[in-house]
Amino acid sequence: MRQRITYLQEPQDSVDPKALKVTENSISTPKLKAAREERITFAFDELPQELYSVLKTCRELHIRWISQNHYGSVAPLVSTLTPGLHVFYTPHLNKPDSNLLCPMLKKVFGAVDCLSPVESFTSLPSNKSSPSAATQYYQALDTLHDFIEYGKHKICAGSEKECLDRISNILLASSVDIDFDTTSLALTMTAFWPLHTQDINLKKTASSGRLEVGVLSIEPSKQPEELSLGGFLTVVGEDTKPSPTLFSFPSRHHPSKSTFSASFLSPSGLHPTLELKISSNKPPTEDRSCSLYCHFTLPRAVFADRYQFLDSLFLASKNLSTLHYITTPVDLEAPVYTVSLWGTSVLLELAPPLGAEQSWTAQIPLHLRYLLPTANTSGQSPLAVPYPVVLWACDAHEEINFSINPFDRVNLGYDGLLGSKTIFYHLSPEGNRLTNVISVPVLDLDKSKYVELSTAGVVLLAFSWVMWCLWCVLRRNGYGSGNYRIKEGKKKQ
Amino acid sequence: MSKFFSSPVLVFVAAIALRVVLFFYGLWQDGNSPMKYTDIDYYVFTDAARFTANGGSPYDRETYRYTPLLAWMLWPTTWSSTWFSFGKVLFAVGDIVAGWLIFLVLQDSNKMSTEQALKFASIWLLNPMVATISTRGSSEGLLGVMVIALLWAILQKQIYVAGFLLGFGVHFKIYPFIYAPSIIWWLDDERLGLRKASSSKTDLISLATNFCNGARIKITLASLLTFMLLNTVMYSVYGWDFLQHTYLHHVTRIDHRHNFSPYNTLLYLNSSAPGTSIIQLESIAFLPQLFLAAFALPLMLAKKDLPSTMLAQTFAFVSFNKVCTSQYFLWYMVFLPFYLPNSSLLARKYVGLTAALLWVATQALWLQQGFQLEFLGKSTFVPGLFLAGTLFFLTNAWILGIVVSDIGAGRTQFHVE
Repeated sequence: MRQRITYLQEPQDSVDPKALKVTENSISTPKLKAAREERITFAFDELPQELYSVLKTCRELHIRWISQNHYGSVAPLVSTLTPGLHVFYTPHLNKPDSNLLCPMLKKVFGAVDCLSPVESFTSLPSNKSSPSAATQYYQALDTLHDFIEYGKHKICAGSEKECLDRISNILLASSVDIDFDTTSLALTMTAFWPLHTQDINLKKTASSGRLEVGVLSIEPSKQPEELSLGGFLTVVGEDTKPSPTLFSFPSRHHPSKSTFSASFLSPSGLHPTLELKISSNKPPTEDRSCSLYCHFTLPRAVFADRYQFLDSLFLASKNLSTLHYITTPVDLEAPVYTVSLWGTSVLLELAPPLGAEQSWTAQIPLHLRYLLPTANTSGQSPLAVPYPVVLWACDAHEEINFSINPFDRVNLGYDGLLGSKTIFYHLSPEGNRLTNVISVPVLDLDKSKYVELSTAGVVLLAFSWVMWCLWCVLRRNGYGSGNYRIKEGKKKQ
Repeated sequence: MSKFFSSPVLVFVAAIALRVVLFFYGLWQDGNSPMKYTDIDYYVFTDAARFTANGGSPYDRETYRYTPLLAWMLWPTTWSSTWFSFGKVLFAVGDIVAGWLIFLVLQDSNKMSTEQALKFASIWLLNPMVATISTRGSSEGLLGVMVIALLWAILQKQIYVAGFLLGFGVHFKIYPFIYAPSIIWWLDDERLGLRKASSSKTDLISLATNFCNGARIKITLASLLTFMLLNTVMYSVYGWDFLQHTYLHHVTRIDHRHNFSPYNTLLYLNSSAPGTSIIQLESIAFLPQLFLAAFALPLMLAKKDLPSTMLAQTFAFVSFNKVCTSQYFLWYMVFLPFYLPNSSLLARKYVGLTAALLWVATQALWLQQGFQLEFLGKSTFVPGLFLAGTLFFLTNAWILGIVVSDIGAGRTQFHVE
């Protein structure tokens, strides 16, 4: 096992190295205002047997969980996804899709309703220039409570207080990544906690493996695509004092000064329109070509109709540019309870208005499926639609080796779609909860008791009436042509 | 006004002008507004045509649920952006041809004066709803010309042409199969002018051999052959996709996004909780529908008045269907010019007005409830939409009863001069 714990500070909060107390097996300091990233790498033999047997069937597995509570991000950890649980999965080369994956996800994360990769996952386009996982799954998940319980039982075998405390702390994390691929033969778990004041008191124990602790803050960098970090690094148990450091690296993900918010126009009905309010129409940098994108991860109850995004007049009227990607196929008619695929992801290019800097809006038309009928809700069901990710994607011109960035993050869904020579500038969302809840009209079971009986009665009544009319015809004129009668009638005239 | 209706040229110029104006208005609206005049289905057809033109399958386009013939017909729409509108022209021409055939049938078979025939043909020709639907690019108008051509051919005793059109129509949209029993029943010896002395024998075998006259055998074989041939060709080119999307989809669909059908709410309810229903009504919904449309109505009425019987059958089929949208109304509207002249709905003004008023009002009620649901998010499934759909259905059934009685009474009772 290897552990890397990094505290990221605002420059004005930078730690005084004298306050960092390093002993032969610990590091501590009181009241440090910092965001925190913890990265733990497990070797295969350190994993529970059941996890190991699932991983054996995968070529790549990337799990991303993002909290729906928004606390702000800190460079260089600015990349994000739609809140919820994302799974990016590539089956092992010579093996069929894993039938162990979904049961395992359920066991580890709790309420996950995936059936199997074939039934519930959607495929992602393969892109040679930026390899990404082959399939995708998503599910809204508010809390990692089940994950923490699983970790307590399976990872902290010896019920060490240190281990239990650290795992419990994940409840406050704003994102958790779990990465595995066959080339590294190791499982990495990375968790991120937003900026807050905390006492550091980290001990190296027998089971904790190599423990590296950094306290860093962002420094001005020379190149626009680079980030510089300065501060102190300590390998606990090896170093006797923190060693000062200053290093730069190219970064895929950068913060943007703009912000956005997302809300549904009211009334939302069965065809809700999501409105994005964006604080600026100006790209983050003038010397690269940049486009503004919105990346949606939509649960199956709500979807975008790709055929709606073809007409340029329609797109322009909503400040949209082009539909860059949408999961296919999307059933445009089925009710939610007959769909087993998780939902759809959509990458939409927006069209910021030209001219002077201004705040502006874009509207994205969406559609709802029929949801299950309900009782005791007056025919309304709440539906949570998570925030999209909004970002500027700028052309990096040349191949930049982003992987030397110790905080590099890939397999986010949109990065594979936009190519590896792209620099992302993330707009930070406004608001505390990154989810909109809309009310969806459904059949009210309290009023539907007699629907079947009345339908049967009405059809029977209508059928009998027509049959009665036919019977009268038969009695009076028979089933023949009745020509005889006409001739007779004419004679009389 | 009577001068206008006494000139076929004037009426047809007006009908064409109506469509030309709507066609160009549509182009203008599409070019200048984010709200499109063109029907969503038209994009489905033309996308499918593009897939076909590029050597692919029309079923590569999601929600394409028609015969590949339609995509082939629209091949010119793939040539250029100007040719894109070719399909709308084709559908509008189909409308006009259907109107022309209605006019011919009214003159020849119903022995109407030119003026009378043009007046009643104008129910179709000058109907803004019909002209709008075809110029927006909905293919329902094409079906109109197919079934009217079928009617015209059968009244002209063009048995093979009729057989071909029947097979073609069923291949195209399934529902015209209901016309097979009425046409076959109508083609009796009396109609064909073959009065045989064999009517004395009443044993089953001679009844059966008498029933199978030449025309009946010819039309059955011709239509079956056309139908099977088209299906074989399409299946050999597009395989299972063709069967799945053109036919099986319509059998297995659980399409309960709200529509006019009386079964709509029930379908939503029972599809969401399978196995909880007591009578599984939706699985036997085809029984009353097909019993009326394909058996009882043809048997009782076809020999009296074939065109009006086809109206009654279509009306019954659409009203008792599990899915019912306003495009289906066009299926029976095309037969109105044949029925209305002898209809008590025209002869007894108050009955006619009440029927029209109820037909419109119950639809308006449904549309208002649908708007509340779709755009305002109110849960109007029950009682609103359910009640409105039920009332509309009962209105249709009531009118159907009147239509049945009128056809049964023959032509002499109500004749409008």
